[in-house]
Amino acid sequence: MDVIDVIVKIITWPPLWQLVVLGLVAPLGVVVGILWFERKTAARVQRRFGPLHVSPRIGGAIQLIADLMRYAFQEIIIPKTVDKGVFLIAPLTALVLSIVPVVAVPFTSVSHYWPIPMEYSVLISLALSTISAIFIVLAGWASNNKFSIIGGMREAYMITAYELMIILAILSVSAMTTSYNFVDVVLAQTGGKWFIILNPLAFLAAFISVLMATSGFPFEIPESENEVVAGPFTEYSGLLYGVNMGAAYIKRFVYSIFITLAFLGGWLPYQPGDGFISGYLIPSLVIIVKATILMAVFSFLRAVYGRYRLDQALDFAWKLLFPLALMGFGLGLLEAYIGLIG
Amino acid sequence: MSGFVSTRGQVGFNDLKIPGAWSRKIGKDLYEVFIGPQHPGSGHMRIIIRIDGDVIVEADPDMGYVHRTMEKLGEGREWIKGIPLYERMAIHDACNVTLPYVRAVEQLLGIEAPLRAKYLRVLLCEINRIAAYLYGFGIFGVFVGHSTMYMWPFGDREVWIELADWLTGARLTHSYPVFGGVRRDVPADFTNQLRKAIRYMRKRLEEYRKIYVDNPVIRARLEDVGVIPKNLAIELGITGPNLRASGVLYDVRYNDPYEVYDELDFEIPVFQEGDALARVWQRVEEIKQSLRILEQVADWLDKHPREPILHDRFWKTAPPLHKKIFETEGRAKLVPLYALLKVPKGKAYAKAETARGEITYYVESDGGQKPYRVRIVSASARNAIVFKYILPGHRVMDLPTIYGSIDYFPPEADR
Repeated sequence: MDVIDVIVKIITWPPLWQLVVLGLVAPLGVVVGILWFERKTAARVQRRFGPLHVSPRIGGAIQLIADLMRYAFQEIIIPKTVDKGVFLIAPLTALVLSIVPVVAVPFTSVSHYWPIPMEYSVLISLALSTISAIFIVLAGWASNNKFSIIGGMREAYMITAYELMIILAILSVSAMTTSYNFVDVVLAQTGGKWFIILNPLAFLAAFISVLMATSGFPFEIPESENEVVAGPFTEYSGLLYGVNMGAAYIKRFVYSIFITLAFLGGWLPYQPGDGFISGYLIPSLVIIVKATILMAVFSFLRAVYGRYRLDQALDFAWKLLFPLALMGFGLGLLEAYIGLIG
Repeated sequence: MSGFVSTRGQVGFNDLKIPGAWSRKIGKDLYEVFIGPQHPGSGHMRIIIRIDGDVIVEADPDMGYVHRTMEKLGEGREWIKGIPLYERMAIHDACNVTLPYVRAVEQLLGIEAPLRAKYLRVLLCEINRIAAYLYGFGIFGVFVGHSTMYMWPFGDREVWIELADWLTGARLTHSYPVFGGVRRDVPADFTNQLRKAIRYMRKRLEEYRKIYVDNPVIRARLEDVGVIPKNLAIELGITGPNLRASGVLYDVRYNDPYEVYDELDFEIPVFQEGDALARVWQRVEEIKQSLRILEQVADWLDKHPREPILHDRFWKTAPPLHKKIFETEGRAKLVPLYALLKVPKGKAYAKAETARGEITYYVESDGGQKPYRVRIVSASARNAIVFKYILPGHRVMDLPTIYGSIDYFPPEADR
């Protein structure tokens, strides 16, 4: 009994719970479902079957697990010409750093289950989320391959443009609630006043920016196969390539959690109670489910749109999305001024 | 930098006089990228680009990776064996590519195919043309990152390939036109299925327009990209839909009609813009015209009774068994005469409009069982030069767009 108690204590220790269970295990569980959904819907539009043969009875649902196993057992080739240390460290660091922002957000209103004090959680989590991109550029540079370098540069361009938009759009909720605390932001949305309804402009800006900053399928400019092979990851193989892909995916999941907290009401309409299950587990699940739905919406665009050119994507960011984010910010200020927000 | 010095210390890279091992000086701040021949977006060729930042400054199309010595191989085979050989240049456009060879040899023999055979040739030519355009759409779709436009045309192309399979017995390399006629007559009920396919294709073209050609993202990618001005198009001698999209009315089917194209009612669409979008529209409109031609061919085939589809010179040598097979199954088996065919001494020249433009054959015979010389100028070989003049000034991301919109097909160009 004692051993189990200790294990439960360790797992439910908020930093570990959020970092490992919500940051790493939950995305892996979600990715299997979402990628299957994404491939099946795209296949439906394109009049084919999609994944089928791995498990025909459930429509090929565990195809991704088979793919992951293939990646896991593939030989990791490290070319002679690469900068070995950086080449190995960059993807792993990018993976770890893309999970880290999860510990800086609250998954419940019970202060006992916060990993860190939440007074400035909006700022801290956004700041942490911007670090991992540097390591993708670094991976491209260390690969010593022309396509990798071009891909890394594109990644840098995209990140500088779109992460600013994400930060601006999400900060507009701080303007609305006059607080940098995600708990205050969520609690201000009590009673169905979700900020997606009150401030759709900022939500739209955040949504599109996340899609572009994480190289979602129609906007995978840094990795577009026909120009730069696999972008920064051209020289990677096996598990390291999988880690690279996983980092991008987890990053998008983390941004989905941010958007859920900022615009989709966080753990609302559920009211966290006492104890681990009602105070921490269920609110976490509510947030994960909302983020998963958001991820599913992201994947819908896959079949319909082509790829923007890099300069057009940047034009789009600065000429369309930047004003949109500013308008969202202004709308938030206006609503706070006229007292629309509790 | 004074060139590369090898580790052995004696010979610099520039001292080697081996072709292909010469080093080139490139300008300051230029970045040389070799795209192909093993690049996911290059096809069987290489484009060497030098970029300044994100803008292409110079581009060298480097072709010849799939050269298969078609012309030389042709000199070593009997006349009839040239047909399956030359259609390997563009297997999905087999009828169009081999037809001028057949017609050139027919000129030397002094014979002409029966009228029904001519209609059947036109039938397969147009089916091939549509399938080839759809193939080009699919490749182009994946180049601009539009996965649906990759899957749809490849799926719809299957309709036309199945029709060709039904007609000729082969999905791609049909070897359908032979000297003095064609190999098979249409199966029963073929024309009805053909009309069904035409109706289906018209409906699908409208759906392509909705999801692809009028898609705002795709339009932003294609408009004013890779513009070939009219005068440059004429100067470089490019051909086919690329030429017509630049505002030049030139189509062999119209300017120099062969087979029964002069009896059919169709139009040659011409676009003035000359950019990638115009080239897509050009192909869409040409598919519509091909459908129109197919409709008329289907009507003609329905109205006219079955008659021999081989010229009498060959047909009269056919054994009774062959004639029986033709009457019961509509298949004209190759008569033994073809194997020992001797073509009179002389020179002949023929051309046709393939899906990628004009293809010309110059055939010379010394009176023997094998050609003395067959010279082929294919459409893709003429279009390849355009990369050198169009790419500079565009961004790297425009390269697949332009490459896809030209619909360049390396095996056809390299022969």
